[in-house]
Amino acid sequence: MKTSRFVLIGALVALVLAGGVALFASSSPDGLESVMLDGCETGADGEISGGACTAQKAGEHEIGGPLADYGMSFVGSETLGGSLAGIVGVLLVLGIATGLFRLLARGPGPRNGEA
Amino acid sequence: MPDLALHIPNGIIGIPTSLAFGLAAALAVGACVAAARRGLDERLVPLAGLATAFIFAAQMLNFPVAAGVSGHLLGGALAAALLGPGLGVLCVTVVIGVQALLFADGGVSALGLNVVNMAVISTFAAYGVIALALKLLGRTRVGLTVAVFAASVVSVVAAAAGFLVEFWIGGEPIGQSFGAVAAAIGSVHVLIGIGEGVITAAAVVAVALARPDLVYALKGARIAEPAAVKEIA
Repeated sequence: MKTSRFVLIGALVALVLAGGVALFASSSPDGLESVMLDGCETGADGEISGGACTAQKAGEHEIGGPLADYGMSFVGSETLGGSLAGIVGVLLVLGIATGLFRLLARGPGPRNGEA
Repeated sequence: MPDLALHIPNGIIGIPTSLAFGLAAALAVGACVAAARRGLDERLVPLAGLATAFIFAAQMLNFPVAAGVSGHLLGGALAAALLGPGLGVLCVTVVIGVQALLFADGGVSALGLNVVNMAVISTFAAYGVIALALKLLGRTRVGLTVAVFAASVVSVVAAAAGFLVEFWIGGEPIGQSFGAVAAAIGSVHVLIGIGEGVITAAAVVAVALARPDLVYALKGARIAEPAAVKEIA
């Protein structure tokens, strides 16, 4: 398989995972969060409703932003917003990582690679 | 969607500890930049970018591990197997940085903690296990599968252990003892590691069959199998 084809297929798979499959991911608290929530009761929305637990010390996120929690706060539909946030995220990460690695590959410094 | 496994929010670990681990993260990532630059030629760039995007996507896929508890891939084992430890750390670091700065996933003040656990510790632990296991088992399909699976479990548990060290230094459990937290974190992350192992082994073996030259851990060898000769583009 050619590298360009391999990258194209891989990118499409990542987009489908983040923009589609992720909508069906488990919404239960994850491993760290569930342990931190031990001792608290939570309501149906996952917010702490009583008790005492370590998670109560967690602050609001410092930035938040329009893509906070893998949604789009300005899109009415939660499903559409979540899907778009995943797609935007994959494209952003692909662009940022490829750009940074390209700079790194071209940058100065010893090149004793077997390129 | 909820926060994701092992992403520490701000406030859980004290600021001095967070800053100290921020410095440690910066030093480790800097060393990886230097190491990765030596092995990075331009042909690898799109593949490293793709691996990073793939890890970002995979981290969105929380799978259930117990009643009411989920987990997701961390990606250190995948990055280590495909790209090696130096470049692998950089991939996961980019993912964690984007998550903290744009997706409110993991505190900004906890960025150093999260990079140390999920990028540095998990990737290096995974690479150590893969290299050792391939030496013992040989570069066969079974050997690669077992090596990557074991590396995934070890990498997730090692990352969780990193969190526990940080929590022990700079955190304060409420309503439960540190021992109880450690036991709960440890057991749930063994389960998450098994999930990560299944996904990562499948992904790495798939790449190894299509393009063995793109699996860093194989060091240029194709996996030993009486399979038909595959094209190398």
